[in-house]
Amino acid sequence: MALDLSMPILVVDDYQTMVRIIRNLLKQLGFEDVDDASDGTAALARLKGRKYGLVISDWNMEPMTGYELLRHVRADEGLRTTPFIMVTAESKTENVIAAKKAGVNNYIVKPFNAATLKSKIEAVCGA
Amino acid sequence: MASADPERDAVGAGRLRNGRSREQPALNGSKTERRETSPKRPTVRMTLMGRDGRLQNSSPSAMVKELLDIAEYIASLRDAIALLRANELTRDRLPMVHEELSEVVAATAGATNSIMNTAEAILALPEGKGYRDAVETKIYDIFEACTFQDITGQRIAKVAEAMSQLEGRLARFTAAVKARDAAGIDDQESDRRKRNESLLLNGPQMGGPATAQDAIDALFA
Repeated sequence: MALDLSMPILVVDDYQTMVRIIRNLLKQLGFEDVDDASDGTAALARLKGRKYGLVISDWNMEPMTGYELLRHVRADEGLRTTPFIMVTAESKTENVIAAKKAGVNNYIVKPFNAATLKSKIEAVCGA
Repeated sequence: MASADPERDAVGAGRLRNGRSREQPALNGSKTERRETSPKRPTVRMTLMGRDGRLQNSSPSAMVKELLDIAEYIASLRDAIALLRANELTRDRLPMVHEELSEVVAATAGATNSIMNTAEAILALPEGKGYRDAVETKIYDIFEACTFQDITGQRIAKVAEAMSQLEGRLARFTAAVKARDAAGIDDQESDRRKRNESLLLNGPQMGGPATAQDAIDALFA
């Protein structure tokens, strides 16, 4: 199944530079409808107000981390099936395992490249 | 009982507590030069009052010895504190560190934005005549933006040197005063550690990611 390029994507990161980079990479892949939030709390507010086809989130943010956001999303009846990719500098195995247990669909460690992001989006949303 | 006149002891009348001598007339009537000793630490001498009310100079008891040791430690502590030059650190060096790091953050953010703006502008260039020239011009803009690294490198070197100074002074201080850390940690630090532990906030690892992307992919296969 081909990717739905019209689906809205939510990028969650407290560094605007990273948001801009991911936004540009998504544009390169054909995704134009991209919103952003600077932490888990702001992201949750956006998720409650709009249906997103994918969440791409950093881990280390305040006041709510991406890990906490993931757990909130998976605990919410209306949000629990939202595809969720973690893009983070948290690279220890314990982080990856915890995220997987919490229900993350895929995990990218920073620094990353466009090809990696593309393959993970295709794996999560294209299948 | 200590002497009523702290500046004088019972033996060697005229000898000041800090080891300096008052000017004393020589036998031939001329004044002698002041004999100065400048010990790094003040000399403390105790005198005791006997039952007869006379000042006595007795050999230090264990308690007096302990008091002398304490006085000596206080004196060495004072020297160590002075060598720390804490006022210079808090007045000059540490504010400098904050300022330099703020400048580094601003410079890297500015350069990143500049590079990204230029890259986006290149992506938006129309194809056709003049395309190559336009791209070349933008690429030189990117090279210019990259010059931030020279300045930030120098700023970070200054910060590293200041931290090295601080480290050295603290090491000498702790050795000089035989400092021991207080048990436990303060509440703010304790809260921070608990949050980091419970949310697995390990941060970027030295030398790159602790787990390679391939290994992560295998977990999701």
